[in-house]
Amino acid sequence: MAVTLPHNDLVAAIPRLRRYARVLTGESTRADDLVQDTLARAWEKRALWQDGTDLRAWLFTIMHNVFVNQRAMARRDARTVSLDDDENGGAAWQVPVAATQFTRVELLETMQSVGKLPAEQREVLILAAVEEMRYEEIATVMGIPVGTVMSRLSRARDKLRRMTGEPSVQLKMVK
Amino acid sequence: MPIDDNLLHAWVDGQLPAERAGDVEAALARDPELAARASAWRAHTALLREGMDAWLAEPVPARLIDAAARKPDVARWQPWFAAAATLVMGVALGWSGRDATLARAGIPTTFAREAAFAHAIYTNDARRPVEVAASDSQALVTWLTRRMGQTARAPDLTSVGFELVGGRLIAGNEKPTALLMYENAAKQRLTLQWRKLPAGTDEAQFRYDVENGVGVFYWIDDACAYALSGSLDRRQLLAVARITYGQIAGPDATPPAK
Repeated sequence: MAVTLPHNDLVAAIPRLRRYARVLTGESTRADDLVQDTLARAWEKRALWQDGTDLRAWLFTIMHNVFVNQRAMARRDARTVSLDDDENGGAAWQVPVAATQFTRVELLETMQSVGKLPAEQREVLILAAVEEMRYEEIATVMGIPVGTVMSRLSRARDKLRRMTGEPSVQLKMVK
Repeated sequence: MPIDDNLLHAWVDGQLPAERAGDVEAALARDPELAARASAWRAHTALLREGMDAWLAEPVPARLIDAAARKPDVARWQPWFAAAATLVMGVALGWSGRDATLARAGIPTTFAREAAFAHAIYTNDARRPVEVAASDSQALVTWLTRRMGQTARAPDLTSVGFELVGGRLIAGNEKPTALLMYENAAKQRLTLQWRKLPAGTDEAQFRYDVENGVGVFYWIDDACAYALSGSLDRRQLLAVARITYGQIAGPDATPPAK
């Protein structure tokens, strides 16, 4: 049990927390709010942090739970309509692509297509493929069995493969 | 031996015990469809890493450094998140079905809709409506100029009673959107948002819409889409939009007809 958190490690974890938050929320400003809420929650729950264990996995678990709780609250307020529109894939998906990457068509296409995956599949895919977490860690972060992690991963990867075979993304500008 | 999905994922993600790698690779050599699938999975993994690793190099906002440094006294998110979610839903429901009409009018509808969302969210954020306050307006303009990649101006709206509060950047799909917020003595707030469009985009006249009490005038000028939003009546908002347009386009410009 810890009475404080390793400050340098917390600061060092922020870029990865922002990335995970963007994957969860689908855009940047809400993502940073989620990071801030996660850090606040981590300080509230610091007694539960085991010194010497993986700080990233602990923070990611907190972030996942904060996000799920916030979304549940938003849905209660909205009653019948899903804020994130998960069924249709991320309607709100607005993740940035670095300026140097604009010319990479297949990269843009992949970044857009991953936003169309159901949120739960997208989350598993990014934690495995980009964050390079072990499947058991992902199961812990998301509070689901490893078997569910694996089946979501299969659906995510196969869907992505089908999507990027189709015509290029539709541009937002009409003119 | 047959290769199940779990083994294939583990192979793609580098989580396969070394002694199993031979089994997977032998199966890939035998089965072209399996090989194509694994190859696509690998290619997407590499692309996602490339796209998302770039985010890690972005500068970290000061408020997050602060949040890592100390234990806050109260959780600040619960009330505002609920309020913002409710507003976004209200605006979203109001806007549904509108896109087709606007698209026919040649207006980038995503921008106009996002402007209404962003206005609703940030003008109602009592604690943190802007990232950079107007107290340092030169720094604000310099920052927006750098981030938008073109000269930014903060129109002076004091002639109609609105003072600059400050500004922020919002992520867009392809381009960042700049947001400036103004407030009058009655605490009414306006936001001016703009985003670069592809060079050569046609100009568009003022268009107006109102949803949930938020009026939006939007137009395209010099390959930039602008939106002025506020809970004023149409006449007042149009007056502000004309002043804004004139200051952005320069002293010689004639406001677009409406």
